[in-house]
Amino acid sequence: MIGGPVCNENLSAGLIFAEGQHLTYQNKEALWDIFEAIGKNWSNTIYDSNNQRSSWYEMIKAKTENAPNYSGEYVNAIYVLNELYDLYGKEEAFKKLFFESGVDNSAPPTTRLAHCKIYVVNEFIRMQVTAGGFKSWGTKYGGEQAKNYHGFLGGTRYNRIPKVRAYDPDTTNLKNDQE
Amino acid sequence: MKNQFDYVIVGGGVAAATLAKGLLEHKHDTAILILEAGPEIIAKDRRFWWDYITRGERPYTFTYDQKFEADSTGNIDYQTDGVRVKAYGGSTMHWGAWSLRFRPEDFNLFTNTGEGADWPINYEDLETYYNDAESFLSVCGDDRANWVPRSKPYPALPFEWTAADGEMIKAWEQLDVVYQDGDINPGVTKKIKSGKMPIARYRKCMTTGTCKYCPIGGRFNAQYVLDDLKNDSRFINFEIRINAPVHQVNTSSKSKIESVTYTDNLSGKQHTVIGNTVILASGAYNVPKLLRASKNEFWKDGIGNDYDLVGRFVVSHSMLNVVGKAPSNPNGWFQEYDFPTLMSHSYNTKEHQKKGKIFMFKNRTTPNVDIAQLMIDGKTREEIDAMVYGEMTVNIQAFLEEKGKFNNRLEAKPGKDRFGLPQTTVHFSRTEQEMKNANDRLKLLEQIIEKMGLEITSSRIDKPGGHHTTGTARMGTSPENSVTDKFMKVHHTDNLYVCSNATFPTGSAVNPTLTLTAMAFRLVDHFINKQPKINSKTKNVNKRDTIQKFLSGESHKIK
Ligand SMILES: Cc1cc2nc3c(=O)[nH]c(=O)nc-3n(C[C@H](O)[C@H](O)[C@H](O)COP(=O)(O)OP(=O)(O)OC[C@H]3O[C@@H](n4cnc5c(N)ncnc54)[C@H](O)[C@@H]3O)c2cc1C
Ligand code: SF4
Repeated sequence: MIGGPVCNENLSAGLIFAEGQHLTYQNKEALWDIFEAIGKNWSNTIYDSNNQRSSWYEMIKAKTENAPNYSGEYVNAIYVLNELYDLYGKEEAFKKLFFESGVDNSAPPTTRLAHCKIYVVNEFIRMQVTAGGFKSWGTKYGGEQAKNYHGFLGGTRYNRIPKVRAYDPDTTNLKNDQE
Repeated sequence: MKNQFDYVIVGGGVAAATLAKGLLEHKHDTAILILEAGPEIIAKDRRFWWDYITRGERPYTFTYDQKFEADSTGNIDYQTDGVRVKAYGGSTMHWGAWSLRFRPEDFNLFTNTGEGADWPINYEDLETYYNDAESFLSVCGDDRANWVPRSKPYPALPFEWTAADGEMIKAWEQLDVVYQDGDINPGVTKKIKSGKMPIARYRKCMTTGTCKYCPIGGRFNAQYVLDDLKNDSRFINFEIRINAPVHQVNTSSKSKIESVTYTDNLSGKQHTVIGNTVILASGAYNVPKLLRASKNEFWKDGIGNDYDLVGRFVVSHSMLNVVGKAPSNPNGWFQEYDFPTLMSHSYNTKEHQKKGKIFMFKNRTTPNVDIAQLMIDGKTREEIDAMVYGEMTVNIQAFLEEKGKFNNRLEAKPGKDRFGLPQTTVHFSRTEQEMKNANDRLKLLEQIIEKMGLEITSSRIDKPGGHHTTGTARMGTSPENSVTDKFMKVHHTDNLYVCSNATFPTGSAVNPTLTLTAMAFRLVDHFINKQPKINSKTKNVNKRDTIQKFLSGESHKIK
């Protein structure tokens, strides 16, 4: 397990109680650092993470202004990050959190660190991929960049232009004649 | 609270929504009550959507039948749990929206094969209603594909094949449909054709591919229609009551249906509402249970059940599944939509009917790599690259047509679910011949995977299940062979109708809902006393001749 006493403090597995808490601007910036670090650590953005910022804000708003409220989880994640920064420095802290946390992602989270990994980091990863992080795949061997992914909100209306890597048949039996 | 209506409709799914819309648009002040057993689950909610994206949670799964609430007996397990959404909008909350017409031969299964049943109507009787249904659901499809006769183009353009479909399309181009022993003309071969999957888009997609909970209402969901009807100030006598399971249909004589009795789940109180016409649109599970539960002095074994036919002839589809793998995926392909784009009807023709037709499609989720899950599991970019461009899995699937058999029956078992609906048991068996046919069909799919140069990693027949259950209150020509007549009116009653897949005498090899929607439009026409647009069986048109012409391509458009 990584981290010190804060990370490893025991907590019950349910969502951390959040009534009355509001995230400040600074809180959101601290959380945004996690999101940005995800893009960097997996070279997973085609521009940088800033083009995903408005979607990310919208998610944070939806998760903190509706029940069940995630504010307690987000504040907890900031405690965890602060301890990891102190122990390892910022860049290394993220590496430890993403690649060496030792947290079982399929078990109920019972430490502050596990809460941070499961409710915050893992959800941000899913969000990051679907907000456009998937687009960095496809090109390695001269292939076409991926255009769509489960969960990706394309933003423009589907029309004649395919919004996916489409199959372009030259010789296909297009007519489907009834046999 | 108002307790008398022109129409009382039991169930709040797509069948109910289509009927209500059709009737209200014809006459705005028609008094209609829809009684839905389940709750309302909000659609297009951003928080629900984000929870689906980040946690994979869908807000309606708590309404599914649990294993203990819906089980099966027989020589094959029938999947009844985890299938039906019991809520305002019904199963269109989570359906795939694949919207395919049945084919002419599906209406004449018995005539063509000596097994199963014929419908009391023909494809021609339904063709114009299929147009209405496609327009209502906004089905996007490929007009160049003339798999079935159609008199109008699709209302919307099809989704393109994805790059990942290409290899299967190429394999199909090189492969023949092989007519197996049991098909008409075994040994004959013809080319496999590729098609684009028709989908009920309803509103234009933003290509997010989270169709099991669409954030913008792109995918058709009956809830949207019902909401629009409720909010339309013209329809002053339209009402929907949710949390309102109906447990009894009441009659004042053998033929006269008077009312239905339901419980308000929130107050626990029972209410009886009078309907000049009562329509059971409560799905192929509930319709037979409700009919049999409605026993009285006129109907000792339940309404419509004098010949012990209610709940019998359960038909479903089994899914055939063959998975193959390639050693690498140099283009990093994954299926970029949340629905299939490639399909073929080449084995869904009359020639294959005796043995069991199949409708083939490429699995909607393959090839795929769950990039986010690998990141969550702490894999590095290099490790994930190796997987994305490494081994690739492709899955071809097919629905297998089944034939209704007397002993396959769906019925209530003691106990109620949390919405107050009776629990379910399905008695379902297959004959040895059917098992053999299914295995033979599986071999066809294996050939395709092999032609793609893939190594087969699994080949299996999935169990049948509640997804496409049909036939539990089937329509026919007399009370001795069916529960309803050709307008889905329960035999020997004046005013009790069933609008459900339950009335389908055959299930074809394709999904049922477009046909259900077409049947609902036809019923609306019947109610508003229009002459049905065509009625080939009563006019004694030589239907087989006509169909032959369609199929031979002589006349692929109905004029
Ligand atoms: C996972 C899945 C995917 C599917 N995908 C497709 C597809 O791609 N294409 C396709 O064509 N079909 C598909 N189907 C089938 C499709 O969902 C059904 O054909 C369709 O929803 C049936 O509509 P319905 O209105 O008859 O019934 P339902 O949608 O089942 O609605 C009936 C409603 O009645 C309510 N009810 C039941 N009993 C009572 C009672 N006694 N009192 C009051 N209310 C009652 C239920 O709660 C329910 O809400 C799919 C089904 C599943 C399960
Ligand atoms: S592709 Fe996107 S917009 Fe279209 S139905 Fe699916 S989730 Fe909705």
